[in-house]
Amino acid sequence: MNVVGILVLMLFIGGMIVYATIGRRWPAVFRPLPAYDDLGAAIEEAVEAGERVHVSLGTGSVIGTDVAPALIGLTIASKIAEITSVSDRPVVVTAGDAAMALLAQDTLRTTYNRINASEAYSPNSGRMLGPTPFSYIANLPVLIDTEKVSVHVLAGSFGYEGALAVDFGTRLGAFCLAGTDDVQSQALIYATAEDPLVGEELFAAGAYFNQHPVHRAGLRVQDLMRMIIIGAILAGTILRGLGAF
Amino acid sequence: MKLGAHLVWAVVAGAAGLFVLLGYFIDYEIIVAMRLVLMRWAVLIAAWALMLGIVNILYVHFIKVQDMEPGWPYSIVLMLALIATVIFGFLFRPDSEIMVMVFNYIHLPIETSLMALLPITLAVAGFRLVIQKRDWASMAFAGAAFFVLLGTVQWPFFSDDMFENLSGLREWLVQVLASGGARGILLGVALGAIVTGLRVLLAVDRPYGD
Repeated sequence: MNVVGILVLMLFIGGMIVYATIGRRWPAVFRPLPAYDDLGAAIEEAVEAGERVHVSLGTGSVIGTDVAPALIGLTIASKIAEITSVSDRPVVVTAGDAAMALLAQDTLRTTYNRINASEAYSPNSGRMLGPTPFSYIANLPVLIDTEKVSVHVLAGSFGYEGALAVDFGTRLGAFCLAGTDDVQSQALIYATAEDPLVGEELFAAGAYFNQHPVHRAGLRVQDLMRMIIIGAILAGTILRGLGAF
Repeated sequence: MKLGAHLVWAVVAGAAGLFVLLGYFIDYEIIVAMRLVLMRWAVLIAAWALMLGIVNILYVHFIKVQDMEPGWPYSIVLMLALIATVIFGFLFRPDSEIMVMVFNYIHLPIETSLMALLPITLAVAGFRLVIQKRDWASMAFAGAAFFVLLGTVQWPFFSDDMFENLSGLREWLVQVLASGGARGILLGVALGAIVTGLRVLLAVDRPYGD
């Protein structure tokens, strides 16, 4: 039995519950992330101009280890669906994985039902564009161009093809916000995207959109755990330097 | 009634996730076996989801052609190619010579062409980054990329000794600064992924709908 693993897991869950409970009395103050502020402004402009917002969940698989950024993409899609439900062109969500496209459809349907805007839902709002990374990317320019997309959000797992996905949007004049989990792809996205999300910034989306108190609590737990890990690394370095082990 | 269904989905998803997660930490035979069974179910469901995804692609493009939306001729090409590939696959089996030819002479060159776009895209993006975003982070990014490229490429008209220092600078940038930064980023991503997974497990995020 991996006792340390279970203890760490309990620490995460306990921390989320504690921070969610005390969060109402002592709300957290997060550093400003210009990418999310810019996204809000870009969505407002898109709704006013009758243009569409596109959320890409990347080319990762639901049953793969790279599912986490796409789950954040679904959170972002849900929030954007709320905001754009009054628009003539509601949000469209695409994925390279079929199961992820189904989850996107479920997320959008649930969101529209919750805000009593079920007429805004269409099964075509959640789509699979192509089953392989490059077939997915090859379909993106046509989608961005023909669907009048002016806000292009990439929140999912991408390989090198992520840079092309961003560039297609930039060249067609869309506002591009992008984040992924892969470090090398993050470097490529940093070079190509107007508003890149680096590292854990993508995973902070729910907290910054104020989706649920647990999202904000989760971000505080991440910070707490990061401090513990940094402390452990520093302590280990000092002890090693002193010849303790 | 709706609350009941909502609770059932949340409990089923949470319990399945918990068994899979515990299977990594606890060695009890029942939990490990349960984890393997659930993982196999997930693979099967994902395979069926792929069928639905293909139908979704066909439906979306059929609607585009029917409504003569902008770009509808591309949709016809996509539908014909997809249907032809499926028919060939059923008639000649996926590992037949025809299917291998379809893959080698159509699919692979198209994907390779897209991959070939990447260096040009990145070069243009690099120039755009320097011109448009004039902050310290972008300049550091572009400068590091420039020095790494200088230290990596082979110079046809110069001796290797002239660029020995550049190779040393490249090594230092890659091994010290880039590795340290990448580890920090990975740490943040890992913590974010854990919290994201736990939110689904606790049914705070319900991507499977209500």
